[in-house]
Amino acid sequence: MPDADPIARRGNRWPAVLLLIGFSIVFILPFAWMISTSLKPLNETMVLPPKWLPSEPQWQNYPDAMRAMGPFWLHARNSLMLALLNVVGTVVSSALVAYGFSRIEWRGRDSVFLLLLATMMIPFPVIMIPVYTLFRELGWIGTFKPLWVPAFLAGAFNVFLLRQFFLGIPRDLTEAARMDGCGEFRIFWQIILPLAKPALLTVALFQFMATWNDFLGPLIFLVRQEQFTLALGLQNFQSAFGGTAWHWLMAGSTLVILPVVVLFFLAQRAFIRGISTTGLK
Amino acid sequence: MNRGEKTRLRHGLLFISPWLVGFGALTAYPLLASLWFSLCDYSVLSDPVYIGAENYRELVQDEVFWLALRNTFFFAAVSIPLSTVLAIGLAVLLNQPVRGRGIYRTIFFLPSLVPAISLAILWQWLLNGSVGLVNEVIQWPLRAINAVAGTALKPPDWLNDPSWAIWGLVLTGLWGVGNAMIIYLAGLQEIPAELYEAAEMDGAGPWQRFCHVTLPLLTPVIFFNVIMGLIGSLQTFAVPYILTNGADGPGRSLLFLATYIYQSAFDYWNMGYAAALALVLFLLILGLTLVVVRFGEKRVHYAGR
Amino acid sequence: MAEITVENLRKVYPGSKGQPGKVAVEGASFTIRDKEFMVLVGPSGCGKTTTLRMIAGLEDITSGTIRIDGRVVNDIPPKDRDLAMVFQNYALYPHMSVYRNMAYALELRRVPKRVIRDRVGKAAKLLGLLEPDDLLERKPKALSGGQRQRVALGRAIVREPKAFLFDEPLSNLDAKMRVETRAELSRLHRTLEATMVYVTHDQIEAMTLADRIVVMNEGRIQQIAPPLEVYHRPANLFVASFIGSPRINTVSGRIERDGDGMAFVEKSERSEHRLRLVFTGDEARMLASRDGQEVVLGLRPEHLSDARDLSAPDPRATFEARIDVVEPVGPETWIYARTAGHQLIARVPHAEPRADIGHTLRFTAELSRARFFDPATGLAIC
Repeated sequence: MPDADPIARRGNRWPAVLLLIGFSIVFILPFAWMISTSLKPLNETMVLPPKWLPSEPQWQNYPDAMRAMGPFWLHARNSLMLALLNVVGTVVSSALVAYGFSRIEWRGRDSVFLLLLATMMIPFPVIMIPVYTLFRELGWIGTFKPLWVPAFLAGAFNVFLLRQFFLGIPRDLTEAARMDGCGEFRIFWQIILPLAKPALLTVALFQFMATWNDFLGPLIFLVRQEQFTLALGLQNFQSAFGGTAWHWLMAGSTLVILPVVVLFFLAQRAFIRGISTTGLK
Repeated sequence: MNRGEKTRLRHGLLFISPWLVGFGALTAYPLLASLWFSLCDYSVLSDPVYIGAENYRELVQDEVFWLALRNTFFFAAVSIPLSTVLAIGLAVLLNQPVRGRGIYRTIFFLPSLVPAISLAILWQWLLNGSVGLVNEVIQWPLRAINAVAGTALKPPDWLNDPSWAIWGLVLTGLWGVGNAMIIYLAGLQEIPAELYEAAEMDGAGPWQRFCHVTLPLLTPVIFFNVIMGLIGSLQTFAVPYILTNGADGPGRSLLFLATYIYQSAFDYWNMGYAAALALVLFLLILGLTLVVVRFGEKRVHYAGR
Repeated sequence: MAEITVENLRKVYPGSKGQPGKVAVEGASFTIRDKEFMVLVGPSGCGKTTTLRMIAGLEDITSGTIRIDGRVVNDIPPKDRDLAMVFQNYALYPHMSVYRNMAYALELRRVPKRVIRDRVGKAAKLLGLLEPDDLLERKPKALSGGQRQRVALGRAIVREPKAFLFDEPLSNLDAKMRVETRAELSRLHRTLEATMVYVTHDQIEAMTLADRIVVMNEGRIQQIAPPLEVYHRPANLFVASFIGSPRINTVSGRIERDGDGMAFVEKSERSEHRLRLVFTGDEARMLASRDGQEVVLGLRPEHLSDARDLSAPDPRATFEARIDVVEPVGPETWIYARTAGHQLIARVPHAEPRADIGHTLRFTAELSRARFFDPATGLAIC
């Protein structure tokens, strides 16, 4: 992490340390409670006053929860497949579009880019109904298509992020490539993309998370249970067991969070850098 | 246009063509279609039938709509300021020269990664009225207060109490403040160190430095985060939906505009009415964003960069 | 190799709504001969880089014609013009090794691998990229500024292009490297016998490297001539003051008859230390037609001497001025002195600091070196 406040470096650090520790406990407690509950036998979840730890960790809760949730591995496979399709689609299409908005100067480009920025303000619930009827006309309801085809049409936010990065690549490089004999697509493919790897990684991570976490999309477009994603499967299970099987619900929640947390620890730097740049550009 | 310009226009449009298709099919068309549907009686099963402003007339008289609107506003008005203060506070703490800042940062950030489904189920459990962790924790200070003041305060039954449910949602949201915090932290680290040193030479104490250096220079980031928070909180759907097991809470206290759009469209199959609601949400976001931009323009300091 | 002809070249950047466009280059015409080293020089924003980029094909031409070996290339994309360019920031591909940076253009042109290896090897040897360290497998990040510069040169050389284009290639080097690389470029030009077009704002680079110089200002060409001619016979006031450091002295005044000669008299409200120089012979004949008219005198600092250093200072070329500042710069001393209405600089051989600030000193001008300019147009008076 970069340097901290230069003046505070000389002052008393204890108040800050105490506050940091206090907040850390508050932020960790829900995780701890979730895992603790997921390892309790059912009867220990409801006792008063609540028990902080299970008398004996019930590891069996995890396989049991997976069985209770229906075809767990099928849901996991659906989630993973959709996430990967979305990552590939978004990275490829957003990079192409970002290139068109940053490295080629064409008349009207900046006005069209403003339009693209404006679309970021339109949330999904606003357009959900015509999109639903459109996909219905196409016969896509009850298939995976509504959940991955749009990813190949570039997301405004990802285009924005990549464009900022592409703009930072010196113009000289593109022009040198042009003198060397590159056409537009080759410049994109052989010069810009290799140099933009960190930004592409960030976009891929964001998209993976977005798809993995998506709830509303699968909720309205998927019909049959074997097509459900993990999120939808878990919600289905929750409505069925409504507020009783907390040990299984917590185990299920933990299982859905786990891949995300693993991904974060594998690519922490790309995450933080990606988020940091969004607010500053 | 000369030849070079023509070529570049062709190439440019070719590169952005994926987005152009997406914009047409998934933004422009849906907006126009929403407008049309909102003037129709439309149940998906049969073709839309034009009924004029009927849906809007119904909407004005629909108490549920006004409730959804009120809840949506209330949630945005409470959660945006609270999360802004918390996010800036945590970012400032993380900007202090203490050991293990990376670890604290990870701890504060992790909850913001939690998928809505897990987040909602977990908080449903944490906010449980009888055996939830939140009440387990707050009963200690409450007991102390009761003992001293002779009151009989009890922890609320969060999600089953119409007047407390929305606060439960606010708490859930605050746990996920890490994303905004990272952006604030990046903003703090962009502030040149000399400015603090200059302020110190001018005789400013820590609090004055915060008010006169940190906050003004952070305004562009605050501005950005508030707009993002606004767009996000006005469309809130998944977490309250799951928190209430797919319903809208006691006394519809967790019914938001997006929830009502979903219900109208996919529970009652009243697509025309849902489209009218969607347009209201759109205009609301558009209007409020413009207000914030207008308000912000004069107060945001783009300095130092 | 190639001859590049530029005819009536014009570049206008479109203005934003309602505002007129910005003219970057206006009516530029010149021919770069085969194997010539041509330097485009001028202050920033003068249009020199735009001109170079139009030759390269990186910038659209608003109007005019560019020919390479007689063929009009206006609409030919850069890659098909067979020109190589060395960029100010070198523009090395950060993700490719030095070898690939140099080989890339050849790969794109489907040159056989064996030939590529051969040419890159030769260029690398010529530029010292193999000795003392073999740099070919390194990434640009691992190179020093000077080494990067040489790789950028190498990338151009392996192309064996019709002409080399340089866009301020030395401006990112430190002073020492700049001098070394300048000499190396000069040597390279002789070895390769190639047509080279070189853009710089640095007059020393222009003077030392060029066969001919194109001086530009505000989008227009001011003079095209070999370096020494530009220095000694500047076409106008702009060229006179842009080339040469310290700057040429300029004094406004008028011409009047003085016996059998012509006198230049400084224009000034004050009469004390008013500059008056009397010309005879050829100069007088030339000035006779300007009798009674206003002119601007241009006199380079090295053409002013401390009268005490001369055995017999010519009284007609000698005048007095008050000393403002004395700057000993090492091999010589720069004396800033004030006449009635102008400040002049004299470059005198370094001696004991005999010049005292505030005192009056007698200077002698080398009259045959004086140039005259029309005050209205700035053009040199022949």
